[in-house]
Amino acid sequence: MNTQTMLELARGPIFYGALLFFIAGMLYRLVTVISLGWNKDLAKPRGDKATGVVKSFLRGGIIFPFFPREKAAYARNPIVYIAGGLFHLSLFIVVILGAAHMLVWKSLIGFGWPTLPLPIVDWMAAVGIIAMVALIVNRMVHPVMKLLTGVAEVLNWLFVFLPMITGYMMTHHMFLPYENLFVLHMMSINVLLVWIPLSRISHFMFYFFSRTIHGVEWGKRNAMP
Amino acid sequence: MPDETIYQSMKNKGVSRRDFLKLSGLFAMALGFTKAPPFEESGLPTSLEFSPKVAEPIVRAMETKPRLPVIWLEFQDCTGCSEALTRSNSPTLSSLVLNTLTIEYHETLSAAAGFQVEEAKQQAMKKYAGQYILVVEGSIPVGEEALYCVIGGRTGEEILKEAAAGAAAIIAVGNCSSFGGLPKAKPNPTNAKGVWEIITDKPIINISGCPAIPEAITGVIAHYALFGTLPELDGLHRPKTFYGVTVHDRCLRRPFYEAGKFALSFDDEGAKKGYCLYKLGCKGPTTYNSCATIKWDAGLSFPIQSGHPCLGCSEPNFWDGGGFYQGQSAPLERPEVTAVGAAVAAGVVLGAGMAVANSNQKKAAEALKGGSK
Repeated sequence: MNTQTMLELARGPIFYGALLFFIAGMLYRLVTVISLGWNKDLAKPRGDKATGVVKSFLRGGIIFPFFPREKAAYARNPIVYIAGGLFHLSLFIVVILGAAHMLVWKSLIGFGWPTLPLPIVDWMAAVGIIAMVALIVNRMVHPVMKLLTGVAEVLNWLFVFLPMITGYMMTHHMFLPYENLFVLHMMSINVLLVWIPLSRISHFMFYFFSRTIHGVEWGKRNAMP
Repeated sequence: MPDETIYQSMKNKGVSRRDFLKLSGLFAMALGFTKAPPFEESGLPTSLEFSPKVAEPIVRAMETKPRLPVIWLEFQDCTGCSEALTRSNSPTLSSLVLNTLTIEYHETLSAAAGFQVEEAKQQAMKKYAGQYILVVEGSIPVGEEALYCVIGGRTGEEILKEAAAGAAAIIAVGNCSSFGGLPKAKPNPTNAKGVWEIITDKPIINISGCPAIPEAITGVIAHYALFGTLPELDGLHRPKTFYGVTVHDRCLRRPFYEAGKFALSFDDEGAKKGYCLYKLGCKGPTTYNSCATIKWDAGLSFPIQSGHPCLGCSEPNFWDGGGFYQGQSAPLERPEVTAVGAAVAAGVVLGAGMAVANSNQKKAAEALKGGSK
């Protein structure tokens, strides 16, 4: 089997299958989690739940990222805060605003958008990779993080790191021919797509639900049962 | 093999020594020599190996080597590669035909036709058995579908196998003979194959492309004629001299790619300014060929220069490699609505099933708790 055939498989049927598994898996997770239900109010609480939700998203979207001192996690483990934040920023810029990735979205959802120049995307990719390395080192060294790290956490890290590093190598033609790296990049994406519904990386979806439900709780003024 | 050497035959035609040396220099340049190729196999004196005069080995080769017999077969092709070859610039086809080669059989170029030319081919194959170069243009249908390509009452598969048996080496010219090309595109109704899928016991060089770059064809033939060895090949049996780097790497629009300046349609401001065609589906990044450097029609232009994205025509299965105008990073297929719907339904049904199971379990646990109170 030559590289071109492998590339066709990785970009074609395997990606197709992985994507469908991802969609089915995420919906499965969503339905099971929502059907777990939430606590009903036994009496009408004071305060406004909607305001609580708005505040919750503002805290998550504006205050936490830009005012580190507001977040207890920063004081306890600044590496998680800074590297974690930079990683998410890098992910957003590369995956949404990189030209090659935009074309993937365009082919899937039918429309595209303007993208950033390659050098900016490239530097942000490098920042993301360095942040990921910092995070895993922190995990291995930090006494509390060590206790919290199991096989699933390491796999989470690995399956996210592989597409990043292969993508970076591909852009820079490092070590292997471009097509071989393209195959590796696509295969690592396929693995990640299958892995996301099975793991806590699914937080990209549940984040919004948990922020909402926390906002509701914070908005209420009542005695907790 | 013809008895007289290349140089002798040129001399007999009235080519002066000065012109002969000039031509040798041109050959050396066309083959991209900075030093001569492997000497041990070529039988030339090793003292020439580190000669600063790169034309010298060519001169010596042409003075000592007889002209090379060539048999050129055409199967499921459009003759585009032969057409391209007639526009070769260095070495030119006329120089090749008149000086370096003796083309014994070529369906398009041969003056004779019908049984006479077939007869001539048979004689040539006998006379030069084990010495001639077989050039193949076009894909070959095999098996039961071999009947889709019949020449003189015989199938292409049969003709190819017969001619390949006595060939010193096979040069597959164009994407069709290299990798199957257009005839092999899905659903491949004629069961077409490239030469290397059929013949496995001969050295094969693939000069892919649609058509192949004429200078790559003549360069490789000249290389073999002069040195008796194949040039260095890549994993797909393509000569590295011409297929060593991607079109993207040598593209004149590459700076725009780096700067993130792309044409978004064929008539927008970006297209007029000559921006990168990546978003219009250019396959340059995965396509190995020398279009961007050698170009076409004596270095006049090449597709990307004239405003069209690269189709990736020197790579296997380029017809099935996604839409020509779809970005290369995009997946080959977009999941159909029904498939996505099925996935969504499967997820929801499984989720609902799990939800019911959870709820039953919870109720059972509560009942147990209630009972134990």
